[in-house]
Amino acid sequence: MARAAKKPLTDRARAERKLGLLLCAPAGIVMLAVTAYPIANAIYLSLLRSDLRFPGQREFIGLDNYVTVLSSSLWWKDVLHTVILTLASVSLELVLGMLLALVMHRALFARGLLRTAALIPYGIVTVVAAFAWRLAWSGSEGGFVPKVLGLSTDPLTQTSTTYLVAILAEVWKTTPFMALLLLAGLALVPDELHEAAKVDGATAWQRFRRITLPLMKPAILVALLFRTLDAFRIFDSVYVISNNGVNRPLESVSVLGYNTLLNRLNLGLGSAVSVLIFVFVIFIAALFVKGLGTSLDEQTGAGK
Amino acid sequence: MTRSVTALLSLVLLLFALASCGGSSSSNGGTVTLNWWAYNEPSGSFREAADRCTRESHGRYRIAFNALGNDADTQRQSLVRRLAAKDASIDLMSMDVVWTGEFAEAGWIRPWPASFARQVRKGTLAGPLATATYQGKLYAAPANSNTQLLWYRKDLIKNPPKTWDAMIDQAAKLKKAGRVEIQGAAYEGTMVWFNALVTSAGGRILDGPTKVGGNKQALRTAARIMSKLAGSKAADPSLKNQKEDQNRLAFETGQAAFQVNYPFIYPSAKANNPKLFKEIGWAPYPGVEPGKPAKAPIGGFNWGVSSYTAHPQEAFAAATCLRDPTNQRAFAIKGGLPPTLSSLYDDKAFKKDYPFAGLVRRQLEHAGVRPVTPLYADVSLAVYTTVSPPGNIDLKSVVKKLTERIGDALKSKGLL
Amino acid sequence: MIGTRRYAGWGAVHLIVLTSALFPVLWILSLSLKTSGDIADGRLIPRAFSLDNYFGAKGIFKQSIFTDALFNSLIIASIATVISVVLAAMAAYAIARLEFPGKRLILVAALAIAMFPPISIVGPLFNLWRDLGLFDTKAGLVIPYMTFTLPLAIYTLSAFFRDIPWELEQAAQMDGATPAQAFRKVILPLAAPGIFTTAILVFIFAWNDFVFAISLTSTGRAQTVPAALSQFTGASQFTAPVGSVAAAAVVVTIPIIIVVLFFQRRIVAGLTAGAVKG
Repeated sequence: MARAAKKPLTDRARAERKLGLLLCAPAGIVMLAVTAYPIANAIYLSLLRSDLRFPGQREFIGLDNYVTVLSSSLWWKDVLHTVILTLASVSLELVLGMLLALVMHRALFARGLLRTAALIPYGIVTVVAAFAWRLAWSGSEGGFVPKVLGLSTDPLTQTSTTYLVAILAEVWKTTPFMALLLLAGLALVPDELHEAAKVDGATAWQRFRRITLPLMKPAILVALLFRTLDAFRIFDSVYVISNNGVNRPLESVSVLGYNTLLNRLNLGLGSAVSVLIFVFVIFIAALFVKGLGTSLDEQTGAGK
Repeated sequence: MTRSVTALLSLVLLLFALASCGGSSSSNGGTVTLNWWAYNEPSGSFREAADRCTRESHGRYRIAFNALGNDADTQRQSLVRRLAAKDASIDLMSMDVVWTGEFAEAGWIRPWPASFARQVRKGTLAGPLATATYQGKLYAAPANSNTQLLWYRKDLIKNPPKTWDAMIDQAAKLKKAGRVEIQGAAYEGTMVWFNALVTSAGGRILDGPTKVGGNKQALRTAARIMSKLAGSKAADPSLKNQKEDQNRLAFETGQAAFQVNYPFIYPSAKANNPKLFKEIGWAPYPGVEPGKPAKAPIGGFNWGVSSYTAHPQEAFAAATCLRDPTNQRAFAIKGGLPPTLSSLYDDKAFKKDYPFAGLVRRQLEHAGVRPVTPLYADVSLAVYTTVSPPGNIDLKSVVKKLTERIGDALKSKGLL
Repeated sequence: MIGTRRYAGWGAVHLIVLTSALFPVLWILSLSLKTSGDIADGRLIPRAFSLDNYFGAKGIFKQSIFTDALFNSLIIASIATVISVVLAAMAAYAIARLEFPGKRLILVAALAIAMFPPISIVGPLFNLWRDLGLFDTKAGLVIPYMTFTLPLAIYTLSAFFRDIPWELEQAAQMDGATPAQAFRKVILPLAAPGIFTTAILVFIFAWNDFVFAISLTSTGRAQTVPAALSQFTGASQFTAPVGSVAAAAVVVTIPIIIVVLFFQRRIVAGLTAGAVKG
């Protein structure tokens, strides 16, 4: 391979190269256009005082918007909210997803039925799922939960219970995805290892901890990466569940960005929030990719 | 494979069929269609007004009614975003009285031309007119107004109190129903309360569109009264979640001797609790200092004409029609919305359903208008997130905090 | 004996999974079937069944906010699906079959873009759409949908295409088939299931979007169902439109359930293909 690259390209290879680039170009250009340009524009806007309610007062103000956001207690409160939501829902999903994956992997019958049932929450529109949970819990909208639990105050006006409902909605909707990714990882664990361990007298838990988990580490990390990034940008369910208009019991960073951009029409300040969310996401992704890299190295035994 | 594709295709077709069986809009040639975006007035009086004005224009224009969301925040969000996008599909809109400054400054609504403005000013009460005026120009036509009264139980209270302090003390002494119902959740209603207290104490939240009020004593007094109620026996345990309708419900079910609220509670009590209805009395909005009448809150809606309409002349004519005496009477009688035209308060039919009409008119003449500023939405957010829940107000720091937050909001700085 | 006990145990497990997966769906279905008087009674099963929330005088199929939105959702999600699947199929074919520089870059870029927080680009898009007149238009939604549909399609399709035995094409040509015949008779049948699965996934994702829909549309001209759901108005200022929301929720969920029932195996393959092999 290395020698071939040094050689002058044959006509055929050159034509292949050209065709390959040509075929990828449309997709590549569209992806670049719809993300790189807006994000660059967001960075630019975040350096301006730009409020659509004052079209005449647009000016360059450097990093002022960032100073404002980072020194605001509301921003950090919403970051905390988002982090708690992310950690709580992703860890619950990991546990439940693993259980569901094991069930689907080991089930004696009706695996198709299980898969279908699990896919339904995942396929449902997030807003619909959020409404299902909100309408079940809301005291003022006829939910059955406050009635069954005998609650006197509306759970969705309290921060703690709103958290609970948002997490439940998120976990319900995305556990299947987690389970499917883990299931694919489970399929890679060879049965012989289990049999051998069984002969050695290992308990089911020991086998799970010593054999299944280590072999599944890359699959788990990939699943966690997907879900953590997804959970961190949570918008739909928080918007729907805490949108009773009273007290805004719960707000995620995405909701804060949305409100600043599209309700207050403060493009400068809102863009600063958006860019910061973007930076957070990159940071989380980098952490995971690093973790994933080391775990793959451990597995192949060579840190190339 | 082919079968599943066919199945999927037929599913998609079925959905299309279902989607297209809904209402479709068609436009008549010749007549101008004006899209009026207004909140979904429950009695239907807005839709009827649109039909009536369409008929009376004799083919000059047709007013198409389009419903906005339920609460004022949703309505504003939807309008503001489209106006910022220069959307031409809005000709007329219903505007909450506090939006005038914002919409005018951003250039989203047209100032009223002199001839139409003269017509609107004639016979309109001072309070409502002030809410439609920005920097000396008329930017909207006051269509209906609203104010809060002090409602009390005649069977429990002989002489209604004149001040908040007296009311709280009086309620706390009652053996039963010793509560004062008022809005305390973090939303516009609490801003209404706070503003009424500040203006009644002789201050203002803002001195001018971009200046924080200088009378700090008034801010302190207002915060003190809120905090006093929250800490007293007279407070509703869920004060921090109460909005107008929760107040109505608590009063209607006999839990409170006092309620500070809009007149919609009156017909509601008549329908839901006729026995209690007979005991309902009303009094002027409570003041802050003895002997000094309060500046009561003023609410309601004005009609504005979009800057992006293609038919401004027709739009102004239609807006004028939509707030004429006939329509305002219908809004008042069917929908319980107090008129902005002074003469209607002498109307017999209106007075019969609105026995407190005289008091409402007096309050509207001397109302405590909420700050007129392009940044109203931000200022309001800054205020109500600071003073709600009222139980958490720290009297030592609240004035400083308020001044800072309002100041930030006025610089369109700071997250809210 | 042990066998039956194990079966009973698994039966219980299945029951738990089924209940937790379906309960919220059944709850919203039950809500949608209640009469307007019973809607807030908090009962799990309606006292009286009624289809008023669907087909009644104030039912969702009589409300243009919903019917328009349903129509828009179908159009917008379909267009986004077609565009992204076509573009992605070209790219994925190149990635699977051809040798050229920057091959991995496309995949890495697709993955990176899939992680993108949509809120980060909503502001600039709104600002740009205002100037271009794309605010509240269908095109104004299809374009940003490319940010997530295209990476998803590229990723899933290249995983599928990698497994196609492309040698068969040459074999067919050697057996005397023309290149067109070889493509139509051999490659297309092999590639079609992957493309079909990808299209379903992309459609579900586009159907699901909320952030873009609520930010970049506002009327029946382009508003999609999720956005419309959050803007339903009740009969009065103080009544929540619970019945309408529930009925609309059921209507948009039915197609998903049907698709899942028919194609669960494919969907699972599509969802995990990219993630595991990548």
